[in-house]
Amino acid sequence: MYGWIWNHLPGPMAVRIALALALAVGVVALLMFVVFPWAEPLLPFNNVTTTQ
Amino acid sequence: MGTVEHIGRGAGRISGDLGDLIPSPRPRARVPAVPKKDPVRTAVRTFGEVLITLGLVVLLFVVYEVYWTDVVSAGKQRDATASLDDRWAKDADPQRQDHFSGLGEGDGFAKMYIPAFGADYQFTIVEGTTAASLEIGPGHYTHTAYPGEPGNFSVAGHRVGKGAPFNDINLINSCDAIVVETSNNWFVYRALPKEEEKAGWAEGKGTDARCKGVSVLGGAYSEVIGQQIVRPSNGSVVAPVPGSDTVPSVGEQAALMTLTTCHPRFSDKERLIVHAVLVRQEPKDPAKPDHTPPELKETA
Repeated sequence: MYGWIWNHLPGPMAVRIALALALAVGVVALLMFVVFPWAEPLLPFNNVTTTQ
Repeated sequence: MGTVEHIGRGAGRISGDLGDLIPSPRPRARVPAVPKKDPVRTAVRTFGEVLITLGLVVLLFVVYEVYWTDVVSAGKQRDATASLDDRWAKDADPQRQDHFSGLGEGDGFAKMYIPAFGADYQFTIVEGTTAASLEIGPGHYTHTAYPGEPGNFSVAGHRVGKGAPFNDINLINSCDAIVVETSNNWFVYRALPKEEEKAGWAEGKGTDARCKGVSVLGGAYSEVIGQQIVRPSNGSVVAPVPGSDTVPSVGEQAALMTLTTCHPRFSDKERLIVHAVLVRQEPKDPAKPDHTPPELKETA
């Protein structure tokens, strides 16, 4: 998987490294700002109220 | 025999008599035989990489939950506090009365201090207990009383992440002060005796100077204790008489405060509940804006 991605990155080594980093940062941002906030209420840690 | 090449590839290199071999331009490492694409190998490696990736995602989620939500909530709490200070400065009521009508979901309306947790423990309490409100700070159960009123002023707060205002409320001992500041008043609540302290309270801890006004409650309130752990479905802990369906007339209701959070930490299996009773009220003096009640100094 990672090898496949690496092999498909264009350009010389420096550009490839930059692109790979950009991809990693993009994935982390997607997780932190979209996926986790969506998933969090579905998980059983953060209910602090009692229900009537 | 030996010659020195001066032009072209391999210039300057001394080459010997190579016989029939064509001199190679530079020494070349032997190229390993390219393995044929083995589908099993590819599948196993990809599977492994996916597992490692999922592990990293879970780790990242822990970082998100325990640290990142704190950062986000700290910003929201700051905004809520700033807008509350603004409102208090602008809409000062000439009668010096507190008004809690017209509060929208997520609006800050009071500040709470727990001096036992340090002088810097301060949170703006917002209206409502939706997920969005609780991200800002401790949230008031809308159907319960407001600070100082007879009834049960009940507040929920996160224990892990999102500022974790109620992270340590299991450490609140009986008689520890929970000070609530509203636009015109200071209300001092003190935690009720714990279950094991109820017997012999009047002769035991009840004699402590800090415990003035804290007693084992009687009548309908006889089951109410300083700290309890209940099932999430137990909504009666925020009832006017905690743990009971009876609703006395307003004149007969004690002024209580209840904190709720999840229990144990990192789980929502149960709820940790702290009950406190109002022992003192102090109107703010507009002439002395910097005055704070002495209970705030009970930091030890």
